[in-house]
Amino acid sequence: MDITILGQQLLGYIPLGDIVLYLAPLNLFMFASTLAFTTIIAISKTETQVEADFGTLKDKEVKVDQKEFKIRRFLAIVCGLATAGAMITGDLFNFILFVCLIGIVNIGIVAAVKQVDVLDAAFQYGLVAMIAVLPLFGGAAMILASAGTISLLEIVNIPTTFMMLFGSLLLFIGVAGETGVAPFYATKAEMFRTPGSPFLLIIHLSSLLVIVRVIEILLIINKPF
Amino acid sequence: MSRIGRLWNSLATPKRIPRFYSVILGILLLAGFIVPMALNDHQLYPRPEPQLQVSEKDPLAPYDRGGIPLKEPGIVRSQYPQFSEKAGMVTSYMSPIAIGVSNTTPYYGTSIYSSPGGLIDEILYYSRGFDTILESSILMMAFVVASWVALNFTMRRREEE
Repeated sequence: MDITILGQQLLGYIPLGDIVLYLAPLNLFMFASTLAFTTIIAISKTETQVEADFGTLKDKEVKVDQKEFKIRRFLAIVCGLATAGAMITGDLFNFILFVCLIGIVNIGIVAAVKQVDVLDAAFQYGLVAMIAVLPLFGGAAMILASAGTISLLEIVNIPTTFMMLFGSLLLFIGVAGETGVAPFYATKAEMFRTPGSPFLLIIHLSSLLVIVRVIEILLIINKPF
Repeated sequence: MSRIGRLWNSLATPKRIPRFYSVILGILLLAGFIVPMALNDHQLYPRPEPQLQVSEKDPLAPYDRGGIPLKEPGIVRSQYPQFSEKAGMVTSYMSPIAIGVSNTTPYYGTSIYSSPGGLIDEILYYSRGFDTILESSILMMAFVVASWVALNFTMRRREEE
């Protein structure tokens, strides 16, 4: 298989039946940086926030207790691995499953906190993530129906039809809901307002990298250049 | 100018986000009705037409893929045949109970026996096996989160207070 994707020569591929993970330089870089960041998160401890009262000396420490720490670390590692997988996968349906895994785990990372505002925001994010499953899988199904394949290495060679364009638009709306970009940022921004910093950062990192990757996938499907 | 500011402020309320998102999604889905359908009929995972097998009184209809287990592959076409060379070899395997049931009724293929009993879906377990692993890990993570919350926030809550 000698294929160039978006001007990049493939360095190699990992065949798992029909699902072929491909290693292009950009994807490999994102994969490696995600893994490095996940390792840093796995070996680090959480921050402690201090809530100061104005005019008094009664500063209150907001700590993360041991049990909460453990479940959060576990979910953060799973989130990092899912992000790393989403970076190199060469199959559209596989990518969507990775994005769904990231969404579920993101809710889980903040599900253990005791601040009511944060839990409210996480609940709203969960609703959006559940709604976003419809355009995600619907978009993939439309692309499969109109292209006849969901392997990105094959879609590169298929001329874009209007239905594929619509399918990729659905896919983008789905990823936008699942990662919480521009107009839908409020729920995810509120979710960060809790102690436990390094684990919360993986939520942010995963959505950033998934957005970069989905833009690459949209370029592959629609071939604007 | 102040209107735009008010709009941004209203977008910053988490409660409104699901509604806002579903409105945008609804508009896009309505626009989908005018998208011309362009099906690619060289489909990747083909099956014979369901009515064809039903009218032939095939007990495995509509899931008959043909083939003899371990000898002759059934009709399973994969995207990359070089990566799944043995595809289709066990797709027609049926357990002894499944063979017995399929001899008694013409509706075996649509009954509940067909799934755990015999007809092995190789697309799920062989050519797209990684997807199956991911699906079950999504389910597992959902259970991990739900059971952690249930154990620590509802059952053990009284002990803390």
